[in-house]
Amino acid sequence: MKVMYRLDSIRKCYGSNVALDIEGLTIAEGRLYTLTGANGAGKSTLLSILAFLAPPTSGEIHYAGKRVAWDPGSMEEYRRKVTLLHQSPYLFGGTVYDNVAFGLKARRIHGDARERRVDKALDDVGLQGFRDRKARELSGGEAQRVAMARALVLEPEVLLLDEPLANIDRGTAGLLETVIASLPARGTTVVLITHDPEQPGRLNGESILLEEGKVATPHPPVA
Amino acid sequence: MDFLVSSLAAALRLIGTFSPDVVDAVGTSLAVSAGATVFAALFGIPLGLLVGLSDFPLKRLVVTVLNTLMAVPTVVVGLVVYGFLSRQGPLGVLGLLFTPTAIVIGGTLLAAPIVANYALASVRGADPRIVPTALTLGAGRVLAVGTLIAEIRFGILAAVIAGFGRVVSEVGVAMMLGGNIRGYTRTMTTAIALETSKGEFAFGMALGILLMMVALLVNLFLSLLQRR
Repeated sequence: MKVMYRLDSIRKCYGSNVALDIEGLTIAEGRLYTLTGANGAGKSTLLSILAFLAPPTSGEIHYAGKRVAWDPGSMEEYRRKVTLLHQSPYLFGGTVYDNVAFGLKARRIHGDARERRVDKALDDVGLQGFRDRKARELSGGEAQRVAMARALVLEPEVLLLDEPLANIDRGTAGLLETVIASLPARGTTVVLITHDPEQPGRLNGESILLEEGKVATPHPPVA
Repeated sequence: MDFLVSSLAAALRLIGTFSPDVVDAVGTSLAVSAGATVFAALFGIPLGLLVGLSDFPLKRLVVTVLNTLMAVPTVVVGLVVYGFLSRQGPLGVLGLLFTPTAIVIGGTLLAAPIVANYALASVRGADPRIVPTALTLGAGRVLAVGTLIAEIRFGILAAVIAGFGRVVSEVGVAMMLGGNIRGYTRTMTTAIALETSKGEFAFGMALGILLMMVALLVNLFLSLLQRR
């Protein structure tokens, strides 16, 4: 099985504070991982590194077998393969369509292809008919679904989710959980932060526990 | 009280009859203020964005200098630019002193720090999730910054309007660099100062009312844009 990420001796420090200290971690393609741990354990820091938004202070990351050099010129290419969805996502001003089509426009995907993908992504999250609604006028659950559609429309190799189901109603959470659970079958690797102790079981994923910046459970290497 | 009431009536008559002197002063004011605001925006917005979005040594010092420049008295700006544009000055050969262009130059120097500071404040006040969200959706650095600017566009617009407000309402630069030449460099503010000192209070009041109306219209425009 293909390895998406291989982390070697990754440390992330903020001043003298070590937020992350991972000796080794491997994330395989097409699997779902749940990332758990107490507040301050380093979960969000790890996700921002995996999203290529913040470089580690030291250590190496290989993505799809290629060492990530963290030079500004190549980061856009990596970021186009990985998408991060926050717990409280930011929706840009404008319509739902403007938001969902944002990443496609950045990739210069135009015309019918863009329209079809936007419609399908909105359909996946149950927001048919929301295309022209103003994004800032949506409820919390609707906004979260738009953010999910905005990520799904890009068909990323890896989807990183920072507590996407927190603070939303049970119905929306159930819908999004079903969508998330279906992603590995489409070949998408998912890493999901959760505080819900039952969610790893429901999603049938592999669990990674972080404690004080370190991986607490031995993570099996991928053959 | 009668003096104020009769002056107000005379002022309204001057406005209503489109007195040529009033129209000239208003036209000159709007033209030089618009020119100075455009140049101040061209310098100030990129400067504010650059300082707000980047980290570099002495950033705090640059911010302090920008803040200080906002408080520079208009006559000091007038004095410095006068030194450059006067016949003995390094740019005297251009013959710009006592022209509308000179007022535009002075106005630009007055407004640019204000525009830059407002733009900087908009960047600092922007939602910190904007740029990371754009980046994680595959935007390059340029598109991410463009998205940030689009999201804080009302703050940027407010910066430009604040710059316009500074230029249109100042006297020192217009008086020192324009020379208050009737029908050429006489602005609303210099005309108010001159006519009031001559005892033409109604004329000054007419221009004062128009100046307030310009400020009101500009702010109404901003308010309308924000509602959209």
